[in-house]
Amino acid sequence: MTGGLRMVGLPAVALALVGGVLGVQLAYGGGDFEPLRPADPCVARTVTSQSEGIDALTERLVLLGIDGAACRLEVSRERLTLELAEGGEPTEAVVEALRDGLLAAVRRMEDDGTLPPISDLVDEALDNADLNGLLEAAIRALPDSVIDAALETDDVLTRAIDDLDLRSILEDVDDQAALNDQMEAAVTQAVKDSLVDRLRDLI
Amino acid sequence: MRRAVGPLLAVTVALVLADSAVVTLALPDILRELDTTVGQVAWVLISFNVVLGICAVPTAMSLTRVQPRLVSAVGIAVFAGSSAWCAWADSIEVLIVARCVQALGGAFALLGCLELLVAEHGERRGVAAWVTAGVIGTATGPVAGGLLTQAISWQAIFVVQVPFAVLAVPAALAVRAEPERTPDRHRPALLPNLTLALLSAALTAALFLLVLLLVEGWRRDPATAALTVSVVPLAALAAGPLARLLRPPHAVEVAAGCFLIAGGLVGLAIPPAAHLAWTVAPQALVGLGLGMTVDRLTAHAMELRLPRVRHAGWTIGARHVGVVVGLAILTPVFTADLRDAEAPAEEAIAALVLDAPLEAQEKIAVAEALGRELAGQEGQVPDLRRAFESVTVEPERRPALARLERDLDVQLERAATRAFRDSFLIGAGLALLALLAVALPRLRNPGVTA
Repeated sequence: MTGGLRMVGLPAVALALVGGVLGVQLAYGGGDFEPLRPADPCVARTVTSQSEGIDALTERLVLLGIDGAACRLEVSRERLTLELAEGGEPTEAVVEALRDGLLAAVRRMEDDGTLPPISDLVDEALDNADLNGLLEAAIRALPDSVIDAALETDDVLTRAIDDLDLRSILEDVDDQAALNDQMEAAVTQAVKDSLVDRLRDLI
Repeated sequence: MRRAVGPLLAVTVALVLADSAVVTLALPDILRELDTTVGQVAWVLISFNVVLGICAVPTAMSLTRVQPRLVSAVGIAVFAGSSAWCAWADSIEVLIVARCVQALGGAFALLGCLELLVAEHGERRGVAAWVTAGVIGTATGPVAGGLLTQAISWQAIFVVQVPFAVLAVPAALAVRAEPERTPDRHRPALLPNLTLALLSAALTAALFLLVLLLVEGWRRDPATAALTVSVVPLAALAAGPLARLLRPPHAVEVAAGCFLIAGGLVGLAIPPAAHLAWTVAPQALVGLGLGMTVDRLTAHAMELRLPRVRHAGWTIGARHVGVVVGLAILTPVFTADLRDAEAPAEEAIAALVLDAPLEAQEKIAVAEALGRELAGQEGQVPDLRRAFESVTVEPERRPALARLERDLDVQLERAATRAFRDSFLIGAGLALLALLAVALPRLRNPGVTA
């Protein structure tokens, strides 16, 4: 073996081996094996739900609302969710961003026609509501067209969101019973207010 | 008995040098069993290397005045006794002290065995046997430790060393060797020892970080991790035939070895997936590099330098100080990176749970279970199995729940792999510094060898 070959032989083999190994690894995505990066919350995403009825509406509303709030706060949807899940006292900015996000979510769902008519939700709402039996039966007897003419989903939701004490909800985010009570109270009040306004308009 | 003397002494050398990294795969078990902290348990590894690194040269000096067989026998006996003490240690403090005594005995055993192997086999073969046994011990330590931990317990690592060491005591006493009373004629070989120190730091990155990534990051059991890292010693065996085939000059071989180790470490930093197969080729590069460098540099640092044992002491000192420096640089980097990896991992998990094809109440149940589990596993890569076992969903959505668990595990593996990247790249940088230490003097003065 010549002196020149002895000088360059092993370095050439080493170079080829290292180049080959690193080349294959990079070709198969080496260097990009990192955790999923959160999506930009300001870019509208398609939100679906496996739930039905009020649960599905609430889930989509909350997911879109958190997106909107995260966009306003300039954080990822995931970071905001984790911060909210930790409980504790939220800042005024977070409360306002969340309210704005939820209201924007209602508008978006109304615009893209994904808000169900209120008549689709009435039976489930009555099942869960603690109403006088006679009143409940009377409401159930109303035709869907009458209910939908009397109440609009976006109006009820907007009023409910405005009424919600988001700060106390966020402080007790783990308390499912308290959360349900607050939601029920806000939605009931929103339905009443909406009906009163509608009657006032008619008169 | 006479024919067993050489192999027993070589096994002793391999055992002492294997002890440098033998507990790497046992650290998680020791952490749990002795109820200690990550910072303290790292000292089980660090203390041995610090004591061996510091004591090597003074020990070598004592061997020029005292009978090597006595020094070796006492050193091996202390090593055996302290190995047994390590196995019976019931607190982290006792284990660390026992490891320090083990390293002290190891230093006497290691350098005494060099003199005995030379007396037994002659200068050339004796030094070669000592160097080769050391490289084998260094490369196979983590493998042996992992297999013993998985098969029996971490204590077994220390218990199995005792009979070998006990047999080596009479073997050492059987060899007649005079102290090497040669005056100090040569200064320590600076460049080979510096290169050895840098490479040891880089190899620490390869072996220590890889087993941590496999066991803690990718959640493989110690035996699987041990079998995986056995690629390094196997590839080291292939280095000899390759070098004989191409017959490069000494410095070129060492430089190529440094480059291979650097390349292998870069490969370990960028696996395309958390699959063991992706570590094989980078480990093979590291193993080839190891086989081309450590024994050549050790032999070169001792070549034609007297007294031999003192220069051997410098090589041991350089290697183990290198290991300590490597651990000192890498440990804070990867622990900080692991901490920093928590936020992106949490966000990835939150994204997958929010978008999972489950009902809203099921998502809340999953999130609550994950929250409870993650809170209990702070500071380590979490195991999500228990969280998912506690969640009940409708039968038709069980496949979706199982897919979510798999996807979350992948996210954790991705986060852990990313957290180790910078440390592996620093290891590669250390190997490239070693390459510079070999190449620069040659470029300035072609007559100089590493």
